[in-house]
Amino acid sequence: MAIMLSYLAEGSAYALAAAGEAAEPRPRGHMTSQVTTEPSDSRERVDARLMGRLAKGDRQAFAELYDRFSGPLYGMAVRVVNDPTEAQDIVHDAFVTMWSKAATFDVSRGNAFTWAVTLVRNRAIDRVRSRRRRAELLANAPPADLGYATDEHAVTGSDALTQSEDARMVRAAVATLPGEQRRALELAFFGGLTQEQIAAQLREPLGTVKARIRRGLLKLRESLARRP
Amino acid sequence: MIDERQEELASLYALDLLEGAESAQFEAALDQDPKLQALVRELRDAAAALTYTVQATLPPPALRNRVLSAIDTAASSREPAPDTIVRPPASLFRAYLPWLAAACFALGAGWLAALYSLSRTEFSLTRTQENLAALALKSAGNQLEAERIVASHQLTELNNQLADTSGKLTAAQQTQAEADRLRLLAQSDSMALREQLAGVRAQLADGSQRLAAATSEVATLTHQLKSQGDLANFKITTLASMLNNSPQALAVAVWDPAKQEGVLQVEKLPSLAADKEYQLWVVDPQYPIPVDGGVFTVNPAGAARVTFKSKQPVNVINAFAVTLERKGGVPKAEGPFVLLGK
Repeated sequence: MAIMLSYLAEGSAYALAAAGEAAEPRPRGHMTSQVTTEPSDSRERVDARLMGRLAKGDRQAFAELYDRFSGPLYGMAVRVVNDPTEAQDIVHDAFVTMWSKAATFDVSRGNAFTWAVTLVRNRAIDRVRSRRRRAELLANAPPADLGYATDEHAVTGSDALTQSEDARMVRAAVATLPGEQRRALELAFFGGLTQEQIAAQLREPLGTVKARIRRGLLKLRESLARRP
Repeated sequence: MIDERQEELASLYALDLLEGAESAQFEAALDQDPKLQALVRELRDAAAALTYTVQATLPPPALRNRVLSAIDTAASSREPAPDTIVRPPASLFRAYLPWLAAACFALGAGWLAALYSLSRTEFSLTRTQENLAALALKSAGNQLEAERIVASHQLTELNNQLADTSGKLTAAQQTQAEADRLRLLAQSDSMALREQLAGVRAQLADGSQRLAAATSEVATLTHQLKSQGDLANFKITTLASMLNNSPQALAVAVWDPAKQEGVLQVEKLPSLAADKEYQLWVVDPQYPIPVDGGVFTVNPAGAARVTFKSKQPVNVINAFAVTLERKGGVPKAEGPFVLLGK
């Protein structure tokens, strides 16, 4: 898929010396100057190859996947649960699940990063719902617009991560969405709300909210597909 | 061809927003439609891309070590990939049986350790959730109690206000009824008073007329009484002749005490000599001698009408007398009496 994202550059503290080959971890301080510009399809292939090795119990492949995915996944978990400590637990559980369930993952039917996102997001939303703190979390959440949230725990020197080409591309695609579609997608993805709760929060009819989600997600898909 | 409805369901499904029967129906359709499956996959990828709208944050390095340690612990419990499963020949199975038993024991111990760790984590999480739920319940209970108290106070206050308002309303209604009654009464009284006033005015007019008539009558009566009083006070005396040669001589004297004057009418008196005159005397007991009433003469027939005045104030008249005196009269009677009347 053309939109395969550069989580290697975003989240990895250890750049690969060559795609598909194990590499020795590099110190994090070197990370910002070693950001790769790996094409998305190549990254997908790398992820798929790593998942294949992971399915066979390759610990090194797992470590590489962790380095590729943990940054964006952790950022997303913090955004959903609004608690770094809890976000770490969630990411921990998700990666342990990836390790234990890797053999069941069919690389021909899905994207590894999407799978990882699903694992983290489901756990994060479960936490939020179980604690019944959704309202407080949303009220205390960073500004509503997507792509402009800040995190005081962001790692110093991560500008290269946040300003990476793919991240900018995703944010640019999101920025082209009408505000009401952005808001609906944000509540659906990060808020862990039901359709009815989203409609209530937006004070819009349920049908309107569904239509906004459909149009917004389809447009986002198309925008990301046009990425070179 | 995927219609808008399916696109909408696919979008909601990709964001895990479908629930219950709706989700089950969509998944049934999904199993039968490869194009729909592809759409869902792409939409899931697009949704996952939203992760990049959050600023990427590196987790603490300790987390990496923690994760790697966890997978080392659980390595033996991981589900192997189908192509990695190696089935040993049956002949080798017995030879490796003890080793397999040992490996199974080690795996079991590791699995139990991992299970124990996971259970503790879950227990801790459950305790935290339970505490949070208890706090939330207590908070909600406190809030409900506070709201109940406030509502109770408000209800009591409203009831008091209602009772107060009802009392005021009743009083106002009574006041209004009293005012209406007084107004009707006043209207009735006003009509009666008007009628009475008209009657009084008529009576007043009638009385005025009667008063005028009575006043006139009083004036008339007063005049009459005055006239009667005056006449009553008059002293009228008839004087008889004291002359032998003229016994038919007669006189009437009328005295008005208010005016202190009188009128003497004589008849048939003898004619007088040239040096003689008749002189009238008024006898008042307060004086030792009669009071001079003036002289007069008579006409040839012996008659005369004389108006006289007393020389001194007269209160009581006992008698009138006429004497024959020298011309011009005398202060004290000297001649014979001609006429005398009491």
